[in-house]
Amino acid sequence: MSAPFTVPCCRVCGHLAYPPRILCPECGANDWTRTLADSGIVTEVTVRRPVFKRRQLPWGDWLDQEAVRLAAVHVDVGERSVRIVSRVPEGVETGDRVTLVAQASTAIALPGQVVEAAPDEAAPARSAAAAPESE
Amino acid sequence: MVGFGEMVERERVTTAPAPVIAGAGSAAYERHPGVERRTETFIAEAVVAALADAGIHKNEVDGLGIASFSLAPDHAIDLTWKLGMRVRWVMEDSNGGASAINMLQHAIRAIEAGDAETIVLAAGDRMEKREFHLMTDRYNRVARDYLAPLPLNGPNALFAFLTERYGRLHGLEREDFGCIPLAQRAWAGKNPLAVYRRPMTLAEYMESVPIAPPLTRFDCVPIVSGGDAIVVTTPERAARLKGPHAGVRAIRALHNHDQQEGDGIHSGFAEFRDDLWAAAGARPEDLDSAHIYDDYPVMVLVQLADLGVIPDDDVKRYLHKTILEEMWPVNTSGGQLSAGQAGASGGMHGLAEAVRQLRGRAGERQVPDAELALATGYGMVLYTHGACHNAAVLERRGG
Repeated sequence: MSAPFTVPCCRVCGHLAYPPRILCPECGANDWTRTLADSGIVTEVTVRRPVFKRRQLPWGDWLDQEAVRLAAVHVDVGERSVRIVSRVPEGVETGDRVTLVAQASTAIALPGQVVEAAPDEAAPARSAAAAPESE
Repeated sequence: MVGFGEMVERERVTTAPAPVIAGAGSAAYERHPGVERRTETFIAEAVVAALADAGIHKNEVDGLGIASFSLAPDHAIDLTWKLGMRVRWVMEDSNGGASAINMLQHAIRAIEAGDAETIVLAAGDRMEKREFHLMTDRYNRVARDYLAPLPLNGPNALFAFLTERYGRLHGLEREDFGCIPLAQRAWAGKNPLAVYRRPMTLAEYMESVPIAPPLTRFDCVPIVSGGDAIVVTTPERAARLKGPHAGVRAIRALHNHDQQEGDGIHSGFAEFRDDLWAAAGARPEDLDSAHIYDDYPVMVLVQLADLGVIPDDDVKRYLHKTILEEMWPVNTSGGQLSAGQAGASGGMHGLAEAVRQLRGRAGERQVPDAELALATGYGMVLYTHGACHNAAVLERRGG
């Protein structure tokens, strides 16, 4: 189950704050709405290997832990931007444009905050060349 | 590098005589301690060692500051009781890698104000892999709700991003970052308390197990259990003890400098650098050693550069020439990368080593004529990078 990815947006000054804050870091207001932030460019990718070897697993939780592909995604919303840590599927590389979806995890009961990025098939042409330098 | 010209013109802000650090001590770091060795065990051993180093009896201590991730359900006051101390000042610090210098910042002012005369600052954790991952997944609400479910399992992936980002900015490859773990391993060979002491070759580093590329096993701190402590007191009290001691010239900090909205490689250290050196009445090139919070090699570089210790933009040359070839003293204990990271003690580790160097008690790894040292703290990943940044400039005093 997934939904379009949105981020908190200050109603007073438009600042984007993900994950959410209480007071807006820019203007100090506490008046938030959410805005669609579903398209971004991957700035870095890593693959986190399973941390535990089988013999180190008396407690079981991580028994079937698989390699997890993770990315930092630079999301532009108009003139503003926000940096998201996201899971990405196999094949997504630095410089790729991705679509972010909010996915309610079935394994962990969370209110739709698990972020998962998927390749944006609608816009494959806007890939590597557009990768922004982080600074 | 900006601002150093005018900095030397400014007067030192510090009022003399300031409190001094009269001793440092550590519990031996252990990878797999027996069940009977609890967090309080490691902290207590460090406190006892620091008091012995200073030559101060526990009954003379009237202030206690504790940093630990795993002391719950106990707090600093429980340790006060278990260590048999009567104190006029007590604090508990939750700022992880920045906790030691944060506590020192408070302790200095408490002693100057007369609230206490002799304060012990200690940190420690019993920390094994499972405890480590439970801790990181519940580090704060954001880690629990936004990172752990990915699943992230600790900060390695986040610092893989920072390493890649910093490498791209400065043209660094893995063999360049490797200069830091290689040099620190060489220092660790001279530290009997380090968990990894065997010399490491570049080939071994390059072939090590990937953890979160580009990070491999030797870019990540070994998780250990342990503790470290220092004793802070008045110059009058210190004068009756065996010196030399470590005087605090200046401490500066900046927390949450970028609201976690920056890139993680432009740090708060850069913002207080000029103020720190002006307050210390010194320049980076005056340093005899640097003790930099080293959770990952990239963060050592970020701090050295942002505090002006790396003299120019040529980070690559600094890595190969100054750090690895010349073995300029950075993290002479082996740092956390070789000595191990004992939870919140990671923040006290470098500070204690700086004190040992200035007191001439660093054994085989003693830096000759060590007069001026830098110690830093970095900690608390709120979402993508550490939010707490602080640094202390220390000098040899007396003795």
